[in-house]
Amino acid sequence: MPKNIIGSVLVVGGGIAGMQSALDLANSGYYVYLLEKSPSIGGIMSQLDKTFPTNDCAM
Amino acid sequence: MSDWEPKIVSFLCNWCSYGAADLTGVSRMQYPPNIRIVRIPCTGRMSPKFALAALREGADAVWVSG
Amino acid sequence: MEYAQAVPLKYAIDPDECIYLQKGKCGNCKDVCPADAIDYEQKEIKKTLNVGSIILSSGFTPFDPSKFDNYQYAMYPNVVTSMEFERILSASGPTHGHVLTRPKSSKKKDAENVKAPKKIAWLQCVGSRDMNRCDNAHCSSVCCMYAIKEAVIAKEHVGDDLDCTIFFMDMRTHGKDFERYYDAAREKHGIRFERSRIHTITEVPGTNDLSVRYANEKGELRNEVFDMIVLSIGLESSKQNIALANKLGLDLTPQNFCKTSTFEPVATSREGIFVCGAFQGPKDIPQSVVDASAAADAAGAILAQARNTLTRSPEVVPETNVIGERPRIGVFVCRCGSNIAGIVDVVAVAEYASKLPYVEFSTDNLYACSQDTQDNMVQLIKEKNLNRIVVAACTPKTHEPLFQETLLNSGLNKYLFEMANIRNHDSWVHKNNPELATNKAKDLVRSAVSKVALAAPLAEAELEVNQTAMVIGGGISGITTAKSLAMQGFHTHLIERSGQLGGQALNLYHTASNEDVQEKLSAMIQDIEQNKKITIHLNTELSSVEGFVGNFKTTLSSKRKKKVLEHGVAVIATGAVPFQPNEYCFGQDSRIITSLDLDKKFMDNDPILQDLVNAVFIQCVGSREPDHPYCSRVCCTHSVHNALELKKRNPKMNVYILYRDIRTYGEREILYKEARAAGVIFIRYSVNQKPGVVLSDGKILVTATDHVLDRPVEIEADLLTLASSIIPYKDEKLAKFFKVPMNDDGFFVERHAKLGPSEFATAGVFLCGLAHYPKPIDESIAQGQAAASRSVTLLSQKTIHTSGTVAKVNPAICSSCGVCLSICPYSAPSFLDAKARMFRGKAQINPVLCKGCGLCVASCRSGALHLQGFDNDQIFSQIFALSEAG
Repeated sequence: MPKNIIGSVLVVGGGIAGMQSALDLANSGYYVYLLEKSPSIGGIMSQLDKTFPTNDCAM
Repeated sequence: MSDWEPKIVSFLCNWCSYGAADLTGVSRMQYPPNIRIVRIPCTGRMSPKFALAALREGADAVWVSG
Repeated sequence: MEYAQAVPLKYAIDPDECIYLQKGKCGNCKDVCPADAIDYEQKEIKKTLNVGSIILSSGFTPFDPSKFDNYQYAMYPNVVTSMEFERILSASGPTHGHVLTRPKSSKKKDAENVKAPKKIAWLQCVGSRDMNRCDNAHCSSVCCMYAIKEAVIAKEHVGDDLDCTIFFMDMRTHGKDFERYYDAAREKHGIRFERSRIHTITEVPGTNDLSVRYANEKGELRNEVFDMIVLSIGLESSKQNIALANKLGLDLTPQNFCKTSTFEPVATSREGIFVCGAFQGPKDIPQSVVDASAAADAAGAILAQARNTLTRSPEVVPETNVIGERPRIGVFVCRCGSNIAGIVDVVAVAEYASKLPYVEFSTDNLYACSQDTQDNMVQLIKEKNLNRIVVAACTPKTHEPLFQETLLNSGLNKYLFEMANIRNHDSWVHKNNPELATNKAKDLVRSAVSKVALAAPLAEAELEVNQTAMVIGGGISGITTAKSLAMQGFHTHLIERSGQLGGQALNLYHTASNEDVQEKLSAMIQDIEQNKKITIHLNTELSSVEGFVGNFKTTLSSKRKKKVLEHGVAVIATGAVPFQPNEYCFGQDSRIITSLDLDKKFMDNDPILQDLVNAVFIQCVGSREPDHPYCSRVCCTHSVHNALELKKRNPKMNVYILYRDIRTYGEREILYKEARAAGVIFIRYSVNQKPGVVLSDGKILVTATDHVLDRPVEIEADLLTLASSIIPYKDEKLAKFFKVPMNDDGFFVERHAKLGPSEFATAGVFLCGLAHYPKPIDESIAQGQAAASRSVTLLSQKTIHTSGTVAKVNPAICSSCGVCLSICPYSAPSFLDAKARMFRGKAQINPVLCKGCGLCVASCRSGALHLQGFDNDQIFSQIFALSEAG
């Protein structure tokens, strides 16, 4: 076992997957750096209108 | 009588019928707008007094679902 | 700023477009900004971070069709991409959700030619499954479904007479409830599906209408004109993704997605770096969310020792005491884009609300749930000193927690809140009656206002979380969850009904990427058998479950012995079973077998496989049929892979696959391509004209209609493999134990189809594997990890809070009759014991056990019980408010 384990994670990409990873890790006791190239998070999903198959709003 | 529209007050259980009413919306099913929904945590919460109060206050029908 | 709901909602300067930064002139924004927030001097900063692990979730880039000259996307204004069409449909998009054709230019003459389209076509597989015009051999997995969705929503916006046609090769609706959506689109919404790949689009001279020429299924040539054509563009890896992978030294697949293996679906080729979402392969939202949690789990597993070493606690806004204050109610009426405002006159509703008793402030918002509105709400609560809030919007079942968070952030107790459901219960269901819908919205708001006026701040009970987990089902996903939880440091009990771990994976030969399933599976089993943090219970079933999140008490029964297990979370991984076919002469000849039987023959190296002349597969046996109206997701890939395996063993063998749509989604498409190249013959059949199988003189005769030749073909099969469906256990007992729902098919229903695929609405209960929906091994493992990750978010907290909506006794008027004790299903009421200082023998409620159902309250003959948040006076006030004229 390495001794100096760092309790933080870098998540690259703030779309739906990156946000979910970041939330899970943060809620599990790890510090998260969420990196996103554009000025806002949400990724492609935030550009969608509704989602299948429930027709729920994507926002 | 043909213009008469009933007023319906409904008491819906938060865990089933209220969710079903939500789903009706999500599915865009259409129904007449005569119904007013009161959310209750469970039909166990339903007291006969609520139904009587609604009728006394002018409801033509009371619907309890859960 | 990209759009009104962006998080964070801040403007940013695009340095490539800014005149000041490019040419040193302008500077207007700096002059007009009242907050003096403009800083032209900000430079790129390089920062070095030391982290324990990296997760890549850098997504995909939508395929750019402008390089296809045959579709003239760049030239014809009414050829749009599916991403653009999403924006056209969106209430916050350029046309505010009105579906309109596009002007050729911004000139006035052209702008006037804009019209509501009458005919729209979708062209599938643009930039997918195409090696001729681009290099994307893969299927993008999501386009079939989003095209159907766009067509359905377009009809909803434009009206039923909008003519929608989808041109496709194979319709791939392989996800949960997707097939039903497809059926409804065809049968209920009247969307036309044409199996044809369009080669060229041309503009009708003198107009911007579009003409296509195609051959329909019968081989007839057709010309058709559309007002608008949507290109269903595929998903591909961006150049940045590829560069990033190269920089980090990660292996990519030939399709430039991040390479992973079936048994470690989120691990990249480099230790400590994980991948999730569409960079791993084209996939839909739920699968991305599953992967995301799985990657979080994988990272957590290697960092478990350092948990809580770097985290900081958020600042808690101190709660304002509002007791004794006169109610000052704020009402926020949401437009929900056009969802509510399109029908209900929200301005009139907000105006009406402002005149209601105790209402201090009311307004309408474009999206009440967006970050900007939330921030604004906090501001307004403080500014106007509001102490009760009503949001008239969608349903509290999905959005109440969000708004309660806003209340907390502004220092208000979260129970000083009420929602009026003017979308799901109003605008969506009365769309032809705007006036009555507006009246109804006013009534609902009035009712909510009168209720919230009586709301009191409530306290939540704190309870400890038992740090043990229970996983039900010892198949591949359950094994994965148990292993993950143990690696994150939590003791786990794995319950298996049979005498052996492994589940359905025990019957599988190779994965689609040719890994030996049995070899990997036995390594996994050995691994968890040796793990000291895992207790395995074989031949064990559940006989009862008590308790709730954090404190479950489950009775296990095994060979008539009973054992009680206390645990904080439960994971349902109970799997599914193969369907035993009841058609195609199954059971009448030993050469007619199921896919799993064929895997067994491969494993046993059955000599019969060498000498086959004709091997036939029939797809969709028991899937996409009235009894099982869903697609079993794995069978197409399984059969294609097995067909290739047969060809490998004997290249001279004739292998036929009889199918309805080949659904080798994602990079599995490559296998389909390989199979065609290897000479596997694919014959399509329709559900109305299923293949015939007859046994005659010891021969198996299979008949089908060849779709290319449109002529019947007869094959004498030496081996007939039926790709039978995956069917759920329909375990009603288990569903009842944990109070979790099942869908019509018998699969468990997750919390949210998109955002909560691996958990239930019931707190502390999680879901993975085939019990959720049919899926291949890689997805089962990812979901097993995801269920573990979701469980850890609970287990890693020492305590959790229960709801404040619980019953409370006024002991002074309790008559100690005991009705509440006998009636409560959760054993929450009890009598205060004889030694209590006050109110001996009176009833009391344990707020941790109380579910807030109100059964005791309605039954109390003394009126001593109150349900906080749903008290008598509150419900009466709602009833009274509803009767007042609007």
